[in-house]
Amino acid sequence: MNSEIKKEKLIRKGAEASLYYGHWFDKEVIFKYRIPKKYRIEELDKNIRSIRTLNEARALIKVKKYGINVPQVFEIDSGHSTIVMKYIPGHKLKDILSDLSQKKKEKIFLEIGRIISLLHQNGHIHGDITTSNILITEKEKIFLIDFGLHEYSDTTEDKSVDLHLFKRVLISSHGKDFKFCFSKFLEGYRGGYEKDRKDECEDIIRNISAVETRGRYVKKEDRFY
Amino acid sequence: MGIIDFEGNVYSIINDTFVPEEGGLHPVMVKEQHLSNFKNTIQKALSQAELSIKDIDLIAFSQSPGLGHCLKIGAMVARMLSQLLNIPIVAVNHCIGHIEIGRLMCNIEDPLTLYVSGGNTIVSAFESARYQIFGETLDIPIGNMIDMFARDAGLAHPGGPKIEKLASRSKNYIPLPYVVKGMDLSFSGLYTAAKYLLESEDFGQKYKLNDLAYSLQENAFAMLTEVTERALAHTEKREVLLTGGVAANKRLQTMIEYISKEHNARFEVVPLKYAGDNGLMIAWAGILRYQTEGGHDISETQIKPKERMDNISIPWRS
Repeated sequence: MNSEIKKEKLIRKGAEASLYYGHWFDKEVIFKYRIPKKYRIEELDKNIRSIRTLNEARALIKVKKYGINVPQVFEIDSGHSTIVMKYIPGHKLKDILSDLSQKKKEKIFLEIGRIISLLHQNGHIHGDITTSNILITEKEKIFLIDFGLHEYSDTTEDKSVDLHLFKRVLISSHGKDFKFCFSKFLEGYRGGYEKDRKDECEDIIRNISAVETRGRYVKKEDRFY
Repeated sequence: MGIIDFEGNVYSIINDTFVPEEGGLHPVMVKEQHLSNFKNTIQKALSQAELSIKDIDLIAFSQSPGLGHCLKIGAMVARMLSQLLNIPIVAVNHCIGHIEIGRLMCNIEDPLTLYVSGGNTIVSAFESARYQIFGETLDIPIGNMIDMFARDAGLAHPGGPKIEKLASRSKNYIPLPYVVKGMDLSFSGLYTAAKYLLESEDFGQKYKLNDLAYSLQENAFAMLTEVTERALAHTEKREVLLTGGVAANKRLQTMIEYISKEHNARFEVVPLKYAGDNGLMIAWAGILRYQTEGGHDISETQIKPKERMDNISIPWRS
């Protein structure tokens, strides 16, 4: 590595990757390094890591074009499964959600809904929308991070699954806020859809319950098929 | 069937598992087996415990989830005993039973649980008064997937242990689909891909059954481990519990133990006797509910084959 590029300190050890804070030619950056997973065999592991690294970097670059706040990518090293991207100072939504006023919650979830609708309208599936993957900055800008499970898809099904996963995270981790936040989220999502694509949007939202009922143990009368 | 006291001392545990002569578990056949064996099983459980039926103070049964045919028999027997002996009855969720017996046997307080069996694949932890489901299969359960593959390969039920043995004899990985969506999993594509490989002309030439068993296990268990690790990072629990029939697999144990260590969490596998489906776990979960909420009215004991675990409040931990 060049002397202008420095990994300085480990700031987060996630399930999949380690995040290091550092500098890249005078810029404050994050090194996202996908850790080799010793529990799986090397062949499988290498494959998964390099595919996800490339996939995530490509997604970050493409998604930025739609005006969605994501960290800018500076460098990709798929051999070492590392992405160098801009450092975004802020808090994870997961950590601050319960301390927010109702008004702020409303504003934030409306905006998240709009952001996800933008992604979906352009054929992008985030794949792991959670409150840990949403950053709120000092100026209350919303950043979407961690595109490791990103997919390109234009099907109702994939978009519904994307929303369903977010719904599940809200239920399991933010039970008290779930109802309000998810309804605001959907409101934002609906609002973000272009006028002539409203039907598609409603299909996606309706299909969430079909996805849910396909899961295990759903009462017969609630089933879709 | 199992007998346990309010302090958690085990008196007896009797398993009388249905083993089909061929094919899988046909609900009607399992029901017949339940119906013709319950009396015998009760007697065995009592004699192992050296107790008389009059010593029983509380009866618990599995109300949900499961095959309706079979749940009905359990519910019927439990109602009958409750009325005959004039003792309270408690309805229990099967999945909660698994977690609670695991907590008791492994002396573990607040674990992230990976529950893997022929009927379920669930990553769960206690949060906001429920056993919340963080990840689960979007289609077929892991044990079912392995059993179906084993059956296609001509192995008798249950296929899990046989696949494990075959897998241990190979190191030749054949790429298979790896489907993880957030913390949820999908095994149906993996199953179909493995089945095609089994039926392909290359089978027996370029690769053998050992290799397929190995690749199937490596792929499926890596998926399970990945979502468990993700849930562990998300919930920040300090303990990990592995339970269900598939928990007996040594390879899966090694993988889950590895990630537990990495996250400084204590790892426990529920002993096989208590990890597979058993009556004791139902009895223990019944005691826990009875102690906080009392028994159920007979009218509340109708079976709920599709009830989700995260729909049920857990008053004894709140």
